[in-house]
This record gives sequence, structure tokens and C-alpha cells, in this order.
Amino acid sequence: MSINITGGEVDNNSSSHPNPLRTDVSSDSPTITQLFITWLRIGFTSFGGGAVTQYLIQENFIHKNKWISAKEYTRLLGMSQITPGINILAMTILIGKRLGGRMGIVVALLGLIVPSAGITIGITATYAGFSEFPQVKSALRAVFAAIFGISLVTNWRNVKPIFVNNRKKGPLTLFVAVGIMIGSGVVYLFFNPPVVVLYLIGGLCGAITYWRVARKTKEE
Amino acid sequence: MDWPLFFWVVLKSILFSTGGFGPLPSLHTDFIAYGWAGENQFTEALAVGQITPGPNGLWVVSFCYLVAGFPGALLACLALMLPPLFIVIVERCYVRIANRPTTHGLLDGVVLVIVSFNIIILANLLRSNGLDMGMLSIVVISAALALSRRISVNLILLSAAVVGAIVG
Repeated sequence: MSINITGGEVDNNSSSHPNPLRTDVSSDSPTITQLFITWLRIGFTSFGGGAVTQYLIQENFIHKNKWISAKEYTRLLGMSQITPGINILAMTILIGKRLGGRMGIVVALLGLIVPSAGITIGITATYAGFSEFPQVKSALRAVFAAIFGISLVTNWRNVKPIFVNNRKKGPLTLFVAVGIMIGSGVVYLFFNPPVVVLYLIGGLCGAITYWRVARKTKEE
Repeated sequence: MDWPLFFWVVLKSILFSTGGFGPLPSLHTDFIAYGWAGENQFTEALAVGQITPGPNGLWVVSFCYLVAGFPGALLACLALMLPPLFIVIVERCYVRIANRPTTHGLLDGVVLVIVSFNIIILANLLRSNGLDMGMLSIVVISAALALSRRISVNLILLSAAVVGAIVG
């Protein structure tokens, strides 16, 4: 844990104990101002909901600035699923804390929420006045189709590191990963149980599989 | 409007749910029961929430604006930001168990389930919007452009809106 020039505690693990998840990241830590501007940009431009927001977070933090690695992002994504509320906000808090400490959390939340909520209110007020026009309905329908296409890419990016990692561990582990994904979808579609129950079952299957692989590796 | 009750109802729906569409069942039950909203406001807010910036869960802000105006939207913003702060506590526990294979397995398993649900929910919404060859083409072209990372997503969405408005 270190303190950056803007006063936030930065949870970046000291260089004497490098974080194995941060192997392909830039050595330059962002300033609080850079972080705020980045989150503001995402907050202003992430038209299209969660899929586009996630896509822009990936673009800005992993690919463009290399402030966090794809593997670390996946870990943060997993962690953010086990907290109540909107998962992307939880992940925003985690990324903010990782890169800028407490101030990082504040600028991440404000930068993402204030512009996006402000625009949401503006669009809602406008939409209420024009919602009966057929062109507006058709445009919304086409935009949703585009959002679905983008979300396919975002979701693929989320699971790709897991599949790549599991393929290295062996065919059985890869089979379990694919099984969790398809199996949970089938159960959800046909039995509609509470989603939290399926999170727990999916997580439990993953935990048991990884534990067995680790034990087998240790024995060998 | 009973604002403390309004805030509690919104907060409760977010506190006991996860994901963007998670608060819907609880909000629907309570807002209909209290006579604060009708079905139309839910469908309108969900539709608008798909195109506005930020997380999907901001449809709740849109909904609370339709139901209770600007004060309702502000309370919804506050209610949305509070529950995810639990992640700071979750992370502290996570640091102690971060290197255990079971922890990695647990989180990877949860992510796989979430991705599966995301695709199913969005596919259902796409189908309910009316799926035809034109919409399928937009899906495929948008996915290909997003994958190539050569065009900004905003441009993709804007182009889709223009095509949708013109072609119908």
C-alpha cells in the first residue's frame, strides 16, 4: 500500500511483491485527475447500458492505458458479482480503489454516475414527449440490436481468460467451465430458480474443480 | 410522496438483488402495491435504460424520474451507489483467500453463470422487440465492428439508430 501525490492510498502491491495478475500493465500509475477524466469520458459516452460501459472500461483501463491486466479485470469482475447492487458500480469501486485508493473510489463513482445519470434523466424527459413516434420506436429497436451485438463481444472477453486458463489445466477443467455456462443457462430457462442459487452452484462447481486440479498437481 | 418510504423501497430492491435487471421484481411489486406506478412506466424506463449511458441499472433512475420527478431520480442515484460499497469489505476478506485455487474457481464459476444469464436476458429482450433479418444483420455487424475495435461503440449505436429510423 502506498500514497500517491494526490493523497489517496493506492492498493497496488509494492514492487518488492509484484502482483502476478499485473504482468502486462503499464509501469506508469495514473493520477487522480487522469482517472477522473477517464471515468467522466466513460460516463458521458457509454450510451447503450452495461454492455457498452463494460466495453469502454475494458478499452480504457486494459487496452488503451494498460492500467490493469485482462486477468486482473476478470478477477475484479468475479469479486463484483458477490456484492449486492449493480455489479459494474462495484467493479468501478474496485478499479478506483486499486488505482487511486479512497479518492480513486470517489472519482470513479462520481465520474461514472453523475454524467450518465444526468443524461439518463434528460433522455427520459425527452423520450416521454416523443415515445409515440414510429421513427423513435424503430430507432430504439435497432439500437437494442446493436447493443446485443456489442454485449456478445463484451461477454466473450469476460469468459475468454477463463477458458484459456482452463484449457491449460486440462480437458476436464475446460469441460466443467463450458458445462457451468451452458448448464446454468438451461436450468435458468426451464426452471427459473432464484439467480443467486445458480451463482452459488456455479461458483461451487468451479471451486471444487480447481481444488481437485490443485490437489492432483500437488500429488504429481 | 412519502420520501423516506420511497427511498427505502428503492434501496431495498437494489440491496437484495444483483445486476441491472435484478431490482425489477421487488420494485414492480412495491410500486404497484403503493399505487406509485403503472406497467407503462416500467416498460418505458426499461427501454430508455438500454440506450442511456452508464450501467443497465440506471433504468431505475429513469423509472424514478417518470414516477416522482427529479427528487425521485436523485434518491434513486443515492440508492444505487450505496449497496455496491459493500465490495470494499468483500475485498478485504478476498485478500486473505486470493491465492487459493478454490477462490479462483468460485469466482470463475460465478462469472460463467453471469455471462450465461446476460446473454439469455438480452436475447429474450431482443426477441420481444421483434427479431427479423434486418435486426439480425445489425447484431452481426455491430458484433464484428466491436470485435475489430476500429470504430467507436457510440458510432456503432448512432449508425444503428439512423438505420432503424430510416428503414423502420
